[in-house]
Amino acid sequence: MFTKITDYEGIAEYKLDANNMKVLLVPRRAAPVAAFMVVYRVGSRNEAVGHTGATHLLEHMLFKGTPTYNKQNGTQIAAVLQKQGAVFNADTWFDRTRYYEMLPSDQLELAVHLEADRMRNSFIADSDRQSEMTVVRNELDRGENEPSRILDERLWAMAFREHPYHHPTIGWRSDVEGIPTERLKEFYDVYYHPNNATAIVVGDFDDQAALDLIAKHFGKISASPQPIPPMYTTEPKQEGEIRFKLRRAGQLGLVEIGWRIPHARHEDTAALTLLDHVLSAGVTSRLYQALVETQLAVDEQAQSNQFVDAGLFTIDVTLRPSVEHAAAEQAVLDVVEKLKTEDVSDKELQKAKNLILTQMIYVRDSPFGVISAIGEAEASAGWRSFIDLPKAIETVTAADICRVANEYFIEDNRTVGWFIPKEEVEEVFEQEEL
Amino acid sequence: MNSSSFASRTHRYQLANGITLLVLENHSNPTISLSGYLRAGEFFNPPDKDSLAGVTSSMLNKGTARRSKLEIAEELESAGARIGFSSNNFTTSIGGQSLSRDLPLVISTLAEQLREPAFPTEELDKMKQRFIASIKEDQDDTRSRAYERMSQLIFPLGNPFYRLPAETILSQLEKITADDVREFYQLHYGTEGMLLVLVGDVAPDETRVLIEKHLGDWYGAPKKAIDLPETPLQTEAKRELVPMKDKPNCDVIIGHASRLRRSNPDYLAATMANNALGQSTLSSRLGLKVRDEMGLTYGISSGFRSGIGDGPFTIGVTVAPQNIDPAIDTTLEIVNDFIANGITEQELKDEQSSVIGSFKIGLATNAGMAGQIVSAELFELGVDYLDNFPSLIAALTKSEIDEAIRKYIHPEVATTVIAGTME
Repeated sequence: MFTKITDYEGIAEYKLDANNMKVLLVPRRAAPVAAFMVVYRVGSRNEAVGHTGATHLLEHMLFKGTPTYNKQNGTQIAAVLQKQGAVFNADTWFDRTRYYEMLPSDQLELAVHLEADRMRNSFIADSDRQSEMTVVRNELDRGENEPSRILDERLWAMAFREHPYHHPTIGWRSDVEGIPTERLKEFYDVYYHPNNATAIVVGDFDDQAALDLIAKHFGKISASPQPIPPMYTTEPKQEGEIRFKLRRAGQLGLVEIGWRIPHARHEDTAALTLLDHVLSAGVTSRLYQALVETQLAVDEQAQSNQFVDAGLFTIDVTLRPSVEHAAAEQAVLDVVEKLKTEDVSDKELQKAKNLILTQMIYVRDSPFGVISAIGEAEASAGWRSFIDLPKAIETVTAADICRVANEYFIEDNRTVGWFIPKEEVEEVFEQEEL
Repeated sequence: MNSSSFASRTHRYQLANGITLLVLENHSNPTISLSGYLRAGEFFNPPDKDSLAGVTSSMLNKGTARRSKLEIAEELESAGARIGFSSNNFTTSIGGQSLSRDLPLVISTLAEQLREPAFPTEELDKMKQRFIASIKEDQDDTRSRAYERMSQLIFPLGNPFYRLPAETILSQLEKITADDVREFYQLHYGTEGMLLVLVGDVAPDETRVLIEKHLGDWYGAPKKAIDLPETPLQTEAKRELVPMKDKPNCDVIIGHASRLRRSNPDYLAATMANNALGQSTLSSRLGLKVRDEMGLTYGISSGFRSGIGDGPFTIGVTVAPQNIDPAIDTTLEIVNDFIANGITEQELKDEQSSVIGSFKIGLATNAGMAGQIVSAELFELGVDYLDNFPSLIAALTKSEIDEAIRKYIHPEVATTVIAGTME
């Protein structure tokens, strides 16, 4: 039934022979619970104009039922999981869609059966699409309520012109409203197959018993009739700084800067990950010291966002009231410039490494922490990076940090967005009108 | 995996100064989770200084008599360890996480921060700025604005569930001085009634020695009683709008005083009733109709804010302006039907297995176990509550739950607040 591919640091990889589905087993018997996750290698990266948001809407549709699990016969997906007290959900991102359940370990079969069932048997009915579209439109409205989220979406849309990371995972509003059910079905039929998925089990289970369950329920599903189509659009090199301003009602100003960085499998991933910690992890970090301690900002965050294709290293700053955007931006750029000319100290480097390595140990406190981290690794650089990235991080030197800062943090490679609250002007206007 | 009871596995130590220490071993990972509280929450704020308890707890990690904020942070961050303080309505919570080898560092630092806080003025100024920014961010959030207004309409001024208008909080915050913080600390921080819970890769007796060494001779302020009259149920329904700019999504909150506290004997019946009605957007009655069937919302849920005090019962729904009325009407129809006909036997059975299953899952992590033990202590239920909880849930009957529904859920006198950009 299965071909064992490897055993690597407590993670066993198998291939389900019937359909080439990848299976990862991570036994961990600390508590009588198990987590199950199916990661599909499809996300908003696989969409284009006209059907942006399709992957996410489809993810919602996969809760609407199958001939086995549905509302009519009292076995609605959410209800049967809720009945077991399961923690469950699904979400969609650039490169992947994931479905997961954490439940008492004697209920593992329910999760496996349900995920196998909805992989190919979901209804995707037009009436469901109509009601779910308005649910998603409300989700979209909620996002539009948040200045930091709108600014971030604009930043990606400006930094990527051709590559589909240009559009937000939730999709453009008119695409979400207009997409026909047939197009969603097409998405389902192209991408939802065992050979485009990885199933992961973490927690309290016996290896052979878990494999038997997976074979029983996924083994009867065939591989996709056609090969999974590759996404081939690449983003050309950025040739000059991009800037934009967004004015809306709001309370606090925001500055976000993004620099293009390589894909997750690139050798610089370790240095970039360490760098985001040097910049923003904890009160001793460089950005906290330069922005929050100096009272230019109330919050800051640096993040190395790495995906299947080239991504962005972003720095977000929430301004203190009355601080100029330009002043905060300059403070960020000064911090970044210094990284190019002066090595970070051994102590600083070691502190950032310790933070990442202890974080990796904390993750292991919870089956959901483990399955989530392995799933995200699998969706971008492959599951082995869950083990290998921390090891690579341990070997990063001060010279590596300086090199990547010089390589990526350059003006021609950056996009800068300002969110400018326009609340005060409008309030006066409103009073006059009244 | 250890299948013996939580009560028998949890070591309890009562220190002479009033600290209760509970230790539960779990050696599956080389980490520890720390949780606990002091009795110094927002309830004790002076009437004209609404944020004082919160500011005081946030200042505990901003430097001590011996070391600066940065020196302490440098040491903790280098070990990947974390200690945090935050204020709730009635307590100030203590939280922490570290590798087990760093437990001595966490405990000695915790003791230093609790016993010798310096409350430096320049740090206080920065802290106040962060509070101001966070209040302003909340003012930009439709849900916070709707909740704030509802709380003012159903609770009397001075009640811990009443939220002052943001302008008032901001002007009071500006006036808080380092002396105010010191005074609050001296009046309310002490070991009497203090709880510390440690779960993870620890040795109980050694942990006790460690706590005794660093905190055993601290006393501080004596414990103060919490005397809070019950908020009566409203007598009529109300509706208010909170207009905001550029908010395409509105938040609706429907709420009333619940008169439910954790100490009420029918607390579990009431929360079980809520589970069936609206605890989960994906599977409770409200979500199944308003989201799944009608597609009016991304999120709808209901709940009691019950603990030491009797908070509100609320239903919250997020909705586009044109769907406000259909969403409210449908919600009220469902609630009224629930009151008239009660929970079904099937719902009861499903919710029982759900609550028991979800309780088990929650206990799968060190932090989850520590959190449950803290709650059990705070509400004087005893650690064996963790062992008895499934059978308490399994014993609930339809008539007990129906009675709780009629007693605690009253849409006919609820206050509805809608925040957002309305056409």
